[in-house]
Amino acid sequence: MYLAFKELQHGKSRFTMIAIITILISWLVFILSGLGNGLSTLAAATMKNVDAQYVVFEEGSRASMSRSIISADLVEELSKQDNVNGAAVMGQLPATVIRTGDNEEVLKTDITIIGIEPGSFLEPTTIEGMPLDSGNNNGVIVNDTLKDEGFSIGDTLTIEGSKEQFTIVGFVSNETYNHLPSVFATMEKWRTTSFAAPGSDKDVANPVNAIMLQGKDIEADQIQASFKGIEVVSKQAAVRGMPGYIEESGTITMMLVFLLIISACILAVFFYVLTLQKTNQLGVMKALGASQSFLSKMIVSQVFILSLGSIIIGIIITYLTALVFPAGMPFDLDTKLVIIYGLSLLIICTLSSVLSIKKMKKIDPLIAIGRVE
Amino acid sequence: MSVLTFKQVSKSYSQGDQTVDALKIVDFSINKGEFVAVIGPSGSGKSTFLSIAGALLQPSSGEVIINNKAIQNLNSNQLAEVRLDEIGFIFQSSNLIPFLNVEDQLLAVKRMKGKVTSKDIEQARDILVKLGLGEKLKSFPEQLSGGEKQRTAIARAFMNDPSILLADEPTASLDTAKAHDVVKLIAKEVKDRQKAAIMVTHDERLLPYCDKVYRIEDGILKQVEHANASAH
Repeated sequence: MYLAFKELQHGKSRFTMIAIITILISWLVFILSGLGNGLSTLAAATMKNVDAQYVVFEEGSRASMSRSIISADLVEELSKQDNVNGAAVMGQLPATVIRTGDNEEVLKTDITIIGIEPGSFLEPTTIEGMPLDSGNNNGVIVNDTLKDEGFSIGDTLTIEGSKEQFTIVGFVSNETYNHLPSVFATMEKWRTTSFAAPGSDKDVANPVNAIMLQGKDIEADQIQASFKGIEVVSKQAAVRGMPGYIEESGTITMMLVFLLIISACILAVFFYVLTLQKTNQLGVMKALGASQSFLSKMIVSQVFILSLGSIIIGIIITYLTALVFPAGMPFDLDTKLVIIYGLSLLIICTLSSVLSIKKMKKIDPLIAIGRVE
Repeated sequence: MSVLTFKQVSKSYSQGDQTVDALKIVDFSINKGEFVAVIGPSGSGKSTFLSIAGALLQPSSGEVIINNKAIQNLNSNQLAEVRLDEIGFIFQSSNLIPFLNVEDQLLAVKRMKGKVTSKDIEQARDILVKLGLGEKLKSFPEQLSGGEKQRTAIARAFMNDPSILLADEPTASLDTAKAHDVVKLIAKEVKDRQKAAIMVTHDERLLPYCDKVYRIEDGILKQVEHANASAH
């Protein structure tokens, strides 16, 4: 460790160049991970926030709410199943709303209406205003990004192309669905909005899109088998079933994986070239009696110190750049993700020194006598 | 007492279809406190001799005993250990480690063995002061003159308290005055510390500092008569 550090200190300019590249790569890794996290939040925050472990859909809907219509009457039977601690219904409907009323400024925005039973475990806690009230079917609680757009409590929203109206009674935070801010409405209101056209409910009694089940040890297969026309999947599968979710996170993940591989290759080649340059010096150290493990440790700790420093600087720069990103950018650095990607980068970079160690092992100490062919 | 013994040692390399005998049945031994020179034209087998004596190379046949330890059957890691414990090398072009200061050059030898203690630092400083490098403890190799570099290399060779000191053309890059200084220094340290030393050289002016002189030619080692300076 000491010798490795001394060499880094002595060859500052050489190692600084390698460090800069590692810093840039780790910077990009962390920014991408922040973007990926932000995008996946935007895509599915409301689904991810649901405090349930399993979701019941209509058979054949492949874990997508938009393809599924089942009856809320199932809740009673589902609640009686083994290990089911709670069940709640949910519906979704993308829509465009216009602010109507006395305001002179016209405000329009795209939202997703989420229908829930007021007071069920699906209802998020408001950060401002009142919760949903089953006595007030027009009241909705909405994501606080609408507040940034100029909406406030008491505003009336009309769905474009329809006569349905809502009144904002409260704000919630971090609730988006399918990249749009969530607007939580009562189940009844959601139904009248969603199935306004005759027959659109396919004659299902009390239609909903999905039923969320609480309970860690639920036997999904067993429940699915004992009911007709439903499928039961885990919440993770339901998140993945959101439109575009896999494609989006897959793209980011692929870029991240490639970046990690590229950084490993670049570092491996750099250190390999450095090792080639140091052939004589390593030969001399071998001649003096340095063991393979001593020199291996020296090389590994050098790569380790360099990568660790670069990754830490990369993290700092990432947090600094996050401060200047525009507010609307879906960028969300998760400390857990930063630690995971930081560690993977560190491990991959350190592993890349294997190539240098292989080269070092082949160096003949006879080189010190200066007469090796 | 003999610290290094060659018994019927030979070394041959295969070059294509041919076999080259670099050393042909060499018998040799050296005692504590002895300073021996090996001379010979290039290609005579000098460096092969030195490499085997320094546990850098295994003989093709015969026995090599360094401080009561036969080395002909050791693997490369065990050889490294023998070098670390028993051999002090002084290379042709000092071969210092570029990123270490003079003091750390010596301590690096200790690091190869394990931890550096305050006693080791004291020992390193002691040796360096004795060799006139007391002012240069924190200097890097690029800041040293040729003679200073070679003295640092000599100091490094003594750091592991070796049984045998091996010097490979230690004066090749030095002018006459410096060359005499360096060899005189080696001779003095060998006597003071009771080490055995072998110096490979082609500079016959330096031979008077040695106790014995061997000539190697076409792989055959023979002792030659010479005038010993210390005997006068």
